[in-house]
Amino acid sequence: MENILFIDPTTLHDEMLRLRNEKQMDFLESLTGMDWGVADEKDTPETLRGLGVVYHLESTVTGERFTLRTATTNREKPEIPSVSDIWKIADFYEREVYDYYGIVFVGHPDMRRLFLRNDWSGYPMRKDNDPEKENPLRMDNEETFDTTKEIKLNPDGSIKNKETLLFGDEEYVVNIGPQHPATHGVMRFRVSLEGEMIRKIDANCGYIHRGIEKMNESLTYPQTLALTDRLDYLGAHQNRHALCMCIEKAMGVEVSERVQYIRTIMDELQRIDSHLLFYACLAMDLGALTAFFYGFREREMLLDIFEETCGGRLIMNYNTIGGVQSDLHPNFVKRVKEFIPYMRNIIHEYHDIFTGNIIAQERLKGVGVISKEEAISFGCTGGTGRASGWACDVRKRMPYGVYNKVDFKEILYTEGDSFARYMVRMDEIMESLKIIEQLIDNIPEGSYQEKMKPIIRVPEGSYYAAVEGSRGEFGVFLESHGDKTPYRLHYRSTGLPLVAAIDTVCRGTKIADLIAIGGTLDYVVPDIDR
Amino acid sequence: MNFTLLVVVLLTAIAFVGVVVALSRAISPRSYNEQKFEAYECGIPTRGKSWMQFRVGYYLFAILFLMFDIETVFLFPWAVTMHTLGIQGLLGILFFFIILCLGLAYAWRKGALEWK
Amino acid sequence: MEVTKKPKIKSIPYEEFIDNESLEKLVEELNAGGANVMVGVLDDLVNWGRSNSLWPLTFATSCCGIEFMALGAARYDMARFGFEVARASPRQADMIMVCGTITNKMAPVLKRLYDQMPDPKYVIAVGGCAVSGGPFKKSYHVVNGVDKILPVDVYIPGCPPRPEAFYYGMMQLQRKVKIEKFFGGTNRKEKKPENF
Repeated sequence: MENILFIDPTTLHDEMLRLRNEKQMDFLESLTGMDWGVADEKDTPETLRGLGVVYHLESTVTGERFTLRTATTNREKPEIPSVSDIWKIADFYEREVYDYYGIVFVGHPDMRRLFLRNDWSGYPMRKDNDPEKENPLRMDNEETFDTTKEIKLNPDGSIKNKETLLFGDEEYVVNIGPQHPATHGVMRFRVSLEGEMIRKIDANCGYIHRGIEKMNESLTYPQTLALTDRLDYLGAHQNRHALCMCIEKAMGVEVSERVQYIRTIMDELQRIDSHLLFYACLAMDLGALTAFFYGFREREMLLDIFEETCGGRLIMNYNTIGGVQSDLHPNFVKRVKEFIPYMRNIIHEYHDIFTGNIIAQERLKGVGVISKEEAISFGCTGGTGRASGWACDVRKRMPYGVYNKVDFKEILYTEGDSFARYMVRMDEIMESLKIIEQLIDNIPEGSYQEKMKPIIRVPEGSYYAAVEGSRGEFGVFLESHGDKTPYRLHYRSTGLPLVAAIDTVCRGTKIADLIAIGGTLDYVVPDIDR
Repeated sequence: MNFTLLVVVLLTAIAFVGVVVALSRAISPRSYNEQKFEAYECGIPTRGKSWMQFRVGYYLFAILFLMFDIETVFLFPWAVTMHTLGIQGLLGILFFFIILCLGLAYAWRKGALEWK
Repeated sequence: MEVTKKPKIKSIPYEEFIDNESLEKLVEELNAGGANVMVGVLDDLVNWGRSNSLWPLTFATSCCGIEFMALGAARYDMARFGFEVARASPRQADMIMVCGTITNKMAPVLKRLYDQMPDPKYVIAVGGCAVSGGPFKKSYHVVNGVDKILPVDVYIPGCPPRPEAFYYGMMQLQRKVKIEKFFGGTNRKEKKPENF
């Protein structure tokens, strides 16, 4: 159960600035919009009502963590001060909250919807809103606006919407659009070009927004597990692990040692799988198609191992609340022990064909540098953050599973360019092999599933759990009011900070560099859009 | 000179291309709708006009490439008949080559080879 | 003269396919008008060429897209069927394999891409999400099945379908192409509208 402080919206900005400067809370981990409902006659003085936001802050210097929340009871025109001048990622997070709840953030430079269409009416995550009623399927392409609203405060306290220009009339704007082989999913970049040079990028997300967070509020806890595999499908085990960890923490369930070992080993195998696909797709985007086949060849071996135990290749449905779905296959240990030396032997092929190649080096070195402060302000965790010198590995910061029993290095590079991001992931494959090697022989005996009640109810309160996904910190924020279904289940996405950083990183580079940067940032779009 | 072979090759080439295109025109299906005549931009309608001011960098690169390509075209016949032309031919081509090298040095110093 | 076409793939016996009835029904409908023997032979030739080189459009929205990529990789080699030339531009593609969920925001984009493809074109709906909305059926932003916006030829269920299931669906499409009446059927030329 988390200890959450309440701050009034009027003092929010000053309080946040104080936390940022005095306590060095430079990492805004998660920003979650909430709808606590309208006032009821059964309310006690402590019951929180209205529309609001929950902030999770962490300091990269001291490691201290803070959770805060704020709320406003005005439902027609809810307004909360913006913190986008303190943390750069708040820009995108607050757009998401505006999209879902309609809360206008005062001082925000670019108040537009993030995921839904421009002409969407209503705010779907509000408890009293029925999204389908007013929004039938519209088949006309949505109108794209070139202007956006900046919310400023008048001296007398009222809100002034200032129209700012996104793209001028004389700019040449091209869509690197939803359907594109190199955008790693359906992401639309509106790029303002000057010859070959990029002047500005505006990322439009939402083309794979499936409304998972709204669906979660009407599904029981075991049903919510099914959707997590489909978020970042290359981190399927890790996502489900995070959600199971959060629910088990909330209910106070202790899983057996065997389950911890199995979950850790599966996570690491999934990480290797994801990094192999990263390598294959990066090489394919840059034009080196042979490397694509190498990456997939090893990946198929891993998928065979997964399929034997879990039943699926990509969507595995393996972790459950209280354990795993079924015990390890008898061949599992043998096959993993065969895979580890095979992978160690074959990794030199990958480096021979791609890493040392002069073309790959010219295209990746010095391209798309993210400094450490920018990475922290944007919240770019995962390989991207570690390539800029920020030690953000959740396995070291908040150990879970059996990571505190294993000896492994956290790979850090300081250059922050695309080549560093690439090398971080290649080195992480070797570290994952080391972790699995230490664990695979010592899996203790025990039960693979705790006995759970048929209907799972989580005690009232707010809980947060995070794992190190293949792409960064994947967090789950759960607020429960004691029912069978979650009141609010929010996922801290690994990819949204990366896409938010693309505009800053890509200005002044060429289009070909945009492809290299997008490939090395390694985001997966369904994780962004949820 | 035996021109029969040349004529046969030329006629075959023309006939091959012509017959294939005509055949495909004749038997292919045809349909019309509005989107087929619009530009393709990853599924989104385009914005603005595409007749914009040209960046001069593209022109410079193209001209430089053309110059050095033509230089290569002139070097090849000399290389093939090098022995019959002797020293006189060598001096002539060397003079030609040095002029173009001076042009390359000028472009390099002026920064035309960098993409800005 | 009645031309009997049997949709056959050389390496798989006819009885192994679960769904032969819909194809046989199609053959009956096509034969209702009768056909010339000469045209029938030419039809077979053209259809044989077409069915063995259907070029897909690279269209992958979510998880099924990764299985599509695995299809192109070395173990499940798509090139054996002639499908490996996956075009990025719809103007050069023969068919569109809709891999992944289609949301309300993506639906007009997909329709536009389909419209921009030249005839004859085919649509394969891959995965639970494209067939009927899949796990996201109750969502407010998901189109429940791509057949609400496009005419679908083959459905491949699964979440995600195994690459072998992909192949089953692609072979069904190949058989469907083989029984088509090309001269006079697929070969229709529309009249050019006046305002073009």
